[in-house]
Amino acid sequence: MNLDTLKKKISDLQSKAINDFSLSKSKTELDDSYRSFLGKKGEVNLLLKTLGSLPQEKRKEAGKILNELKSVLEEKYLGTSISLASTANQERLDQERIDSTLPGFQDLKGSSHPVSETIREICDFFERMGFDVESGPEAEIDYYNFEALNVPEDHPAKDMHDTFYLNNSGLLRTHTSPVQIRTMEKRDAPHRIICPGKVYRKDSDLTHTPMFHQIEGLVVEEGASFAQLKGLLNDFLEDFFGEKVELRFRPSYFPFTEPSAEADIRWKKNWLEVLGCGMVHPNVLKGVGVDTKKYSGFAFGLGVERMAMLKYDIPDLRAFFENDLRFLKQF
Amino acid sequence: MQFSKNWLGEFLDINLSTEEICSQLTMAGLEVDGYENCTSKITGKDSIINLDITPNRGDGFSVLGVARELSVINNLKLKLPVANKIPGSFKDDMGIKVCSEGPIYYGRTLRGLSLKSKTLPLIAERLKMSDQKLIDPVVDITNYILLELGQPLHAFDRDKLNGNISVRLAKNKELITLLDDQELILDSDCLIISDEQEAIAFAGIMGGKKSSVTKTTSSIFLESAFFNPSSVRGRARRFGFQTDASLRFERGVDYKIQEFALDRASSLLEETVGGSFGNTIGAIKKTAIPKESKITVSLERSNKVLGTDISLQKAMRYFKGLGLSPERSDNNITVSSPSWRYDINIEADLIEELARLEGYDSLPQTSLTPVYKKRNKTSEEVLSESLISKGFNEIISYSFISPEDHDLFGEQDNTLQVKNPISQNMSIMRTNLVSGLLNSCIYNLNHGQNDQRLFEIGNTFIQKNKTVQETKTLAGIIKGNVSDDYWNEKSRESSFYDLKGIVLDLLENFEVQHSFKSATNKFLHPGMSSSIVFNNKSVGFLGSLHPEYVEKLGLKQDIFIFSLEIPNLINKPITSYREFSRQPLTSRDLAFLINKEITAETLQQVIESSAGKFFKDIKIFDVYQGKGITDDKKSIALSVSWQSMKNTLLDSDIDTAVEKIVNSVKSKLGGELRI
Repeated sequence: MNLDTLKKKISDLQSKAINDFSLSKSKTELDDSYRSFLGKKGEVNLLLKTLGSLPQEKRKEAGKILNELKSVLEEKYLGTSISLASTANQERLDQERIDSTLPGFQDLKGSSHPVSETIREICDFFERMGFDVESGPEAEIDYYNFEALNVPEDHPAKDMHDTFYLNNSGLLRTHTSPVQIRTMEKRDAPHRIICPGKVYRKDSDLTHTPMFHQIEGLVVEEGASFAQLKGLLNDFLEDFFGEKVELRFRPSYFPFTEPSAEADIRWKKNWLEVLGCGMVHPNVLKGVGVDTKKYSGFAFGLGVERMAMLKYDIPDLRAFFENDLRFLKQF
Repeated sequence: MQFSKNWLGEFLDINLSTEEICSQLTMAGLEVDGYENCTSKITGKDSIINLDITPNRGDGFSVLGVARELSVINNLKLKLPVANKIPGSFKDDMGIKVCSEGPIYYGRTLRGLSLKSKTLPLIAERLKMSDQKLIDPVVDITNYILLELGQPLHAFDRDKLNGNISVRLAKNKELITLLDDQELILDSDCLIISDEQEAIAFAGIMGGKKSSVTKTTSSIFLESAFFNPSSVRGRARRFGFQTDASLRFERGVDYKIQEFALDRASSLLEETVGGSFGNTIGAIKKTAIPKESKITVSLERSNKVLGTDISLQKAMRYFKGLGLSPERSDNNITVSSPSWRYDINIEADLIEELARLEGYDSLPQTSLTPVYKKRNKTSEEVLSESLISKGFNEIISYSFISPEDHDLFGEQDNTLQVKNPISQNMSIMRTNLVSGLLNSCIYNLNHGQNDQRLFEIGNTFIQKNKTVQETKTLAGIIKGNVSDDYWNEKSRESSFYDLKGIVLDLLENFEVQHSFKSATNKFLHPGMSSSIVFNNKSVGFLGSLHPEYVEKLGLKQDIFIFSLEIPNLINKPITSYREFSRQPLTSRDLAFLINKEITAETLQQVIESSAGKFFKDIKIFDVYQGKGITDDKKSIALSVSWQSMKNTLLDSDIDTAVEKIVNSVKSKLGGELRI
């Protein structure tokens, strides 16, 4: 064989191989075809074996040409292989296409009761201010609910609370204030506590439920002042409503605070009562052994349902205890 | 307290709009509930002001008291109404005796009066504006003085009184029939007015029926007295009522105004019903009259508490205006409590007066400095977050339940009951949260919600040996499907094991060793329930509602309940790193044929105790009873896994462990390996 014949063969082989490669419909076909040309017993190797029949001086050139053929084919194989893979991927993706507008599989939705949610929000603010959350029993005794809070027996102030009495000679607490006393009995001043919980009053109409929730706050420390009380409540209300609040304080009466105040916020043009507060009455502090020369204190209390109604625009108090899922799931 | 605004004009020259007056009163602590403008033929352009008086301000229950407040605020002079001293035309020989509980008693007799005459138009109009019914000229005048001066008066029919009268405590079980026909059996701490025969009035509360003024009355005895607040307090309420008089006496009436009020009433009576007056008679027990106490306020302390800078001059001016006769010494002011203010007793009360007159709104405001503290989530928060993420909706139900619900679900012994409930349906303090949850479930079922997951956190009450055990408790129910139906797959009904999974997930949040024992709650399915036990103490339960209850409540579908006492749950400490194995996990599937009665828990315990030191975990993947197995047996298939901290375990290690397990199950439980 001479070099020219070889060149012709190589050129034919290259066209044939390239043609074969590009006609492959799958990776398997391509690989078969690859093997028939470039495999151990492939045509390229067969050709290689014929090099021995060439004259010595031509062998080198022929080898070079053959190597070029190899690399051209390798390259073609690789290219075809990539393009085949991409086609295959595309087909797979096309086959796997779904209607993504069909609904997803969602879990059941849970919800926190708006009263719990509101308690959490309120306590959160006060906890960031360094208040500890405290709680006490709902079935109380007269001493903690009234006497220790400077409400003597038969006092008209008791009329402010329509009390439920229990068959064990106790009562259902009418406010969360007893927790103040219990905490101050348990621990020494200074105090910063916040006490959320259920309270009970014998009252049931459009705007009253016999059970509702209150949050009581107490600060007893050196230099606790009415100015701080005003500032704290203002900060709290702005935090709770997330905006500037027009707030006014006016004198009021609670047996356990002196001076006592009621705080109103401007709500849709009208003043609306939201909080009762005041400086802790010296009788209360003395009763639990707080040194009134060293410490002063202030306390405040608010109705949770009222706050929730304002914040979430809930029109009817009774919704809180109906437990209608259509209501509860909104929160 | 409701009154005509123009009435104030008799006490002070005030030229403010009703709105301004109301705003001043509210901001001074005499809260205006509302006002209504009106035009009256007699009082002209006027307004009716309605006050909501707090229990400490008895002085706010009269037009005089309101006017006094406005005079201080506006620095105006206060005028008292005219009260001519009418000399007696005959000498009254009635004797009067007082006591410590009722230390001041004045009265005078008016003979030959005419009840046919008309109440003066101005008085009639003002009474109407105060929402007082017109009765007869005598009663109208006593009502008028009550509103004007805050002094309750009472007129007896003079001819129906027998001999001398005395103010005294009632005898135990002494009877009296009041003006409104109430028959009371009095206690020995009730103060009465009595003649020589019987009780003629419930002192400071209401007159008696027998001695009352009627159409035929021609002589009256008019009483103007002072009873100590503590002797009137709560007495009327004990019998379930209150009166305009009791309202004032129990809060405190000005103890220096009785004679003036009697003169004032006499002038009006003379003008209206005529007749001839006897001399004023009376008795006083000086030692029992409230004392004018001296109270000292340190201006420095006051300014510190209020955060203000009120000057001594200003404080003196405020106190003078309030009628407190202030005297200064250094930086202190000493005042005397006026006879009409019962709420000024200690320094704090004076600080409040300063704050009030300064205006609460203009007092300074400073922020409280935060104190930063470490805060962990409470058990309650952990539980509720976990349940909410599992699709539970939180409910809140009343702590008092009906006797019927209590019979069905409550613990029977020594329940805590409300003595004066709103209704019988709310009379028993719940001993668990079950009825509240089921009632809510039924309510929502009736409103078309079939699939429900509800929970509540609240206190339960059990009375034991006179003490109340109040326990914060979590309870929940699941009913209906575990999820919505999906478009390619229908959901399935919840089962006991769904509930158990939920409870286990909850428990994993806490540092507790728990076990499950059989439950005894009567409302649970006996074969489908467990009690949750920590340290040998039952702290809760879970189970399927008893089929009889399901039927009774009309539920038509199984419902699963759990309950857990929260105080027993101890929060896990904040996570810190633990070494973990990086070696491969090896597992083997084993199936045992055991007696039907043997619980999965027992089998697991036997396997665990014999699986060797590399034992890691055990998971049950199949439980089978039926074809191919005798009736008294069941097959439990489980996957046991092992792992070493240091190296890859060899097959031979595992083979040895499996052999030990198989032997142990065989010897302890009589179980056979199936595969």
